[in-house]
Amino acid sequence: MNKSLSTLENHPHIWRAREQNQQEERFSLGFDQLDEALNGGVSTSGVVRIRTLTGIGELSLFKQVISKQRSHKMIVFVNPPGNIQAPWLATFGIDVKQVLIVKPSTEKESLWATEQCLKSTACHCVILWSNGVNTKEARRLQVAATHNDALCLLFTRPNRSSMHNSAALQTLPISLDLCLNYRQHALEVSVLKQRHGWPKDNIAIHNDWTANNRAIKWAVEHNKVKRHVLHSVS
Amino acid sequence: MLWAYLYFHQITLDTHEKASLSVGNNSHYDTKKEVRHKRTGESTKGLHQPSKTQTPAVIVYCEKTNHIVQRNNAAKEQGIEIGYGLAQAAALCPQICIIPFSEDNERLTLVQLAHQLYPFVSDIVLDTHNTLAIRLDNLVHYYGGHKELWSTITHELKLSKVSYHFATAWSIEAARILALNGVDNYECDCDNIKHRLSQCSLSLTALDKKTKEALTRVGIRHVHQLLAMPVHELGRRFDNNTISYLTALRGETFPHVTLFRPAEHFEHFTLLPFDVENTQHLTPFMEKLLGYLAHYLRARNLQTSTLCFQIDFREHPSTHLEIKSALPQSTVDSWLSLLTLRIENEILPEPAVSITLRCDNVETIEGSNGDFFSNRFNEVAQKQLIGRLNAKLGEECTFQPKVSDTHQFETMSNVEISPSTPASTFTSDIVPTFLFDSPKPLTQSTKVCFGPVRLHSEWWHETSRKRDYFIAQTLYGVRMLIFKDEENQWWAQGLFS
Repeated sequence: MNKSLSTLENHPHIWRAREQNQQEERFSLGFDQLDEALNGGVSTSGVVRIRTLTGIGELSLFKQVISKQRSHKMIVFVNPPGNIQAPWLATFGIDVKQVLIVKPSTEKESLWATEQCLKSTACHCVILWSNGVNTKEARRLQVAATHNDALCLLFTRPNRSSMHNSAALQTLPISLDLCLNYRQHALEVSVLKQRHGWPKDNIAIHNDWTANNRAIKWAVEHNKVKRHVLHSVS
Repeated sequence: MLWAYLYFHQITLDTHEKASLSVGNNSHYDTKKEVRHKRTGESTKGLHQPSKTQTPAVIVYCEKTNHIVQRNNAAKEQGIEIGYGLAQAAALCPQICIIPFSEDNERLTLVQLAHQLYPFVSDIVLDTHNTLAIRLDNLVHYYGGHKELWSTITHELKLSKVSYHFATAWSIEAARILALNGVDNYECDCDNIKHRLSQCSLSLTALDKKTKEALTRVGIRHVHQLLAMPVHELGRRFDNNTISYLTALRGETFPHVTLFRPAEHFEHFTLLPFDVENTQHLTPFMEKLLGYLAHYLRARNLQTSTLCFQIDFREHPSTHLEIKSALPQSTVDSWLSLLTLRIENEILPEPAVSITLRCDNVETIEGSNGDFFSNRFNEVAQKQLIGRLNAKLGEECTFQPKVSDTHQFETMSNVEISPSTPASTFTSDIVPTFLFDSPKPLTQSTKVCFGPVRLHSEWWHETSRKRDYFIAQTLYGVRMLIFKDEENQWWAQGLFS
């Protein structure tokens, strides 16, 4: 018994919390609180699942990772929920030449395309929108990504009704599982599961990902000039 | 033994045409030539006009003998033949381009050619300034046949764009006669070679003038007559050099030859096809030289931190441009960026005629700097991936975004089937991440974060639209691109992720 236990202990796949791997390279997200919770950022390879609504700044959260790292490699968008706009890509800091958009007709094809992209060694990051990834498929993507030093961001729809019902949350064998919510003027990130780390709930991120009218508002508020002046902003 | 003998009969002309072709688009060479044509065309109306203005007539003129030694097809069309004097050529074709013949320059070109051939063939003998011999019999074994070997050599020669005559025979001397005769046939059968050789004229042999005269006087005009003579008979009348040449011609003895050895350091010389007056026009030629250097370094797993360009002028002493890099590098791009910076404030004292690139200090690329596999990437992988995706999903499923020249959201980002090279793009902070296929009526309550931005599109068309765009946020934090049309209807058109 004791002997068999010691052989089990020597197995390289068993990880202990005390073996904090400090050397592992990570891509910083650029938000201090979040980076701290993730031990420095997202790992450089593997699958990251993000449960989120579309349009709450979920891509902008990963701006540092997508646009600043391994810029000589391709970024592939698989099954995006709309027509991706090239000027937006340029504003985001991505070289449009390095972008490939894949729009497969079925869920199965998008998974196949994602796996091919990860395996090709030509991609820095594959961004996939899919709601039906099961454990086996997730494992395949995770292996393909880690073996070829690529990152896969998997965006899925949030499971609203059973948000905090852990039984209903299907866990996947992936590097990182995140959930995004917009609450009280801030994006709240919940780390549901991460390799070599602990989950953490409700990290508030203040990230303004679109243009705003703040400059105009400021100008209006600080307008001390009297009414009778010809050019006044009201 | 089997030797191939290559006779590059117009090597100066070929290098000139290659150099002017390679930079033809961005140099002033062509335009200058055209202007010259036009000018002469006006004055010589009614005279013989060149049929093709694209290729100017070029001749290579030897000052020593006052003969034209090489001429291109355009010059041939004008009626210029090899052996004409300069005045004769000028009379036939007034706007001719003349390159001075230089034995040293031809030899340099030949050495560069030998460097290029050296990876493929081991025994190369540089004979005169425009001929070289290659030993074939010891290589056939490695290439698996005569045909394979010869096609490898000819392919390499084709890449360097030189025209040549060639022949094969059992000795350099015999092959030389055949090549000068213009046999241009790969032959490894002894009898055939003998047959061809016997028909050649005695004037093609490397015998000295006196010996040739003496032989002609006794009626020996062809090689077969010479070969038929018994050696001891000739030995009484002619000196040792003649006898050893004849035995070599027969393939009985093999005189000692010096084989070509590639230089230890990189040095590449380019004769410019025209006089270059400023450094910008010099850059394409320098880039070409850097390309050769990169090739040289890559083949030897080397890199360098200093380069030296030598720019030669007609009168002025040569300029040396030394370019140093903090980090040893080997690629063209990395050196080119340094070169352009270095050359920017350089002023040429007079038009340059040739440039030489030298590189003495090379160092081996150390494997220690970084993981070899961490950044491995090649275009092949990218192309393969796109090919595979297209094959399975269909070409219309894979595309690269392309920007079109408009600020209307509907037509801003059109798609193009890969692989493509998208044009330069613009950045804009009101462009959404995702655009819906068509605008949807706005049904949720939203709060405006940014706007308005009014786009009154194509007011000169009947389909003109006036819309006020806003970025608005829903209760759930979803930011959308919304707009109000002319009928005060609200629509949602895109999402900001």
